[in-house]
Amino acid sequence: MAIIEFDDVHKWFGPLHVLDGIKLTVDEGEVVVIIGPSGSGKSTLIRTVDRLEPIQQGRLTVDGVAVHDPKVDVNALRRRVGMVFQSFNLFPHLTAAENIMLAPTKVKGLSRTDARARADELLTKVGIPEKADQLPARLSGGQQQRVAIARALAMDPKIMLFDEPTSALDAEMIREVLDVMRQLAREGMTMLVVTHEIGFAREASNRVVFMDGGRIIEDTPTAEFFAGAREERARQFLSKVIRH
Amino acid sequence: MSGALMPGSILFEFPELFLKALGYTIQLSLIGSGGALLIGTVIALFRVSPIPPLRWIGVAFVEFFRNTPLLVQIFFLWLGLGALGFRYFTTDTFETIFRAATLGMALYHGAYVAEVIRGGLIGIERGQIEAARSLGLSFIQTLRYVQLPQTFRATVPPLGNIGIALIKNTSLASTIGVADLLQAAEVVESRTFRTEEAFGVVVLLYLVLTIPAGLGVNWLEKRMLIAR
Repeated sequence: MAIIEFDDVHKWFGPLHVLDGIKLTVDEGEVVVIIGPSGSGKSTLIRTVDRLEPIQQGRLTVDGVAVHDPKVDVNALRRRVGMVFQSFNLFPHLTAAENIMLAPTKVKGLSRTDARARADELLTKVGIPEKADQLPARLSGGQQQRVAIARALAMDPKIMLFDEPTSALDAEMIREVLDVMRQLAREGMTMLVVTHEIGFAREASNRVVFMDGGRIIEDTPTAEFFAGAREERARQFLSKVIRH
Repeated sequence: MSGALMPGSILFEFPELFLKALGYTIQLSLIGSGGALLIGTVIALFRVSPIPPLRWIGVAFVEFFRNTPLLVQIFFLWLGLGALGFRYFTTDTFETIFRAATLGMALYHGAYVAEVIRGGLIGIERGQIEAARSLGLSFIQTLRYVQLPQTFRATVPPLGNIGIALIKNTSLASTIGVADLLQAAEVVESRTFRTEEAFGVVVLLYLVLTIPAGLGVNWLEKRMLIAR
């Protein structure tokens, strides 16, 4: 069943046509990886799902809600959609556990005790239970990103969006973040992932979407995509990212 | 023992007068600072609000109170508002004069506080606000739990400067008749003609307030610092 549906979505940044007639469907439980050169509109695309970016034309439905309808309760929608950012965006004045507890206590009204128990559980899941009471500045990039994933999961979202989650990380930390994402994928989380990690796409995704110039050039099941992308531009891009 | 032999002894010749004056200066400073922090925060929130009329009010407030002299504001609050029929400030009792002076302190310094807080609010990375909103926190919740706590921590030093300036500026209240430290000096001077001593004691008493305040700000700054 489709949980995210883009129907002829357009967006402009001034004269720049950043999303040009996007048609894309993601089913519940699917993991879809979006790749493409920088400036192709990948990040903008997933940011529209959480309404962090407005769209100017077309229709985007997420979990049965027309996201860009002005009457939509955007806060209610965002509770069901988790987002992980390239730059982690943890709250620096709060500890790891407090970062995770903030939304459950303030938005869902969970008690601090329950929220703390859930935070500890999630920190265990992402492999750093001992960091609960550390401030973000005391954590490595990989640890910060894992806290950010735990923070998004604390709202029990139906969909997780990842916007280049490993692009700001050193090589040895990329792995620990990808491991958490692979585990989530195995558990059946619906995921939309913008990444340059071709290995992750190959192992963990169901489909690969290739974007260029604000358009979806190719949307192919993963195995098929890596056996031989249909589009010349996708093949060229792939040969470049795999080589280095 | 004469004052000439022991400088500052004049303090002990008029202990009640000076202590009471110190008390009024402290009251003016504390209530004024509290008010300035409150007013400044509200005005800063107006200035970053998505609602244009609130932003206009914020700009008008800051420009008015920052660009007119504090002394004129105090006179206006005392005499002007009285003349306009605000009874709270009219009847010429000490309480109404004190109210006008305190409100003047809060409004004038509130304009400066507003600018500092606004700077702190807009200095917070966009990404953190997006992260908060993406978790389902509302605009107000994001301000309250993400932006304001960090802003207050980061703006301790400039807010401390405003607070210390406020302590010194309370001396203007003497001009409308608040029996503060400066007025105590004037009273003692007119009774004893020991000008240097009277004003010297008051200078020391201001330092007794401002130096610990400065140390307090430094301590708070270290404690509140957010490691990045």
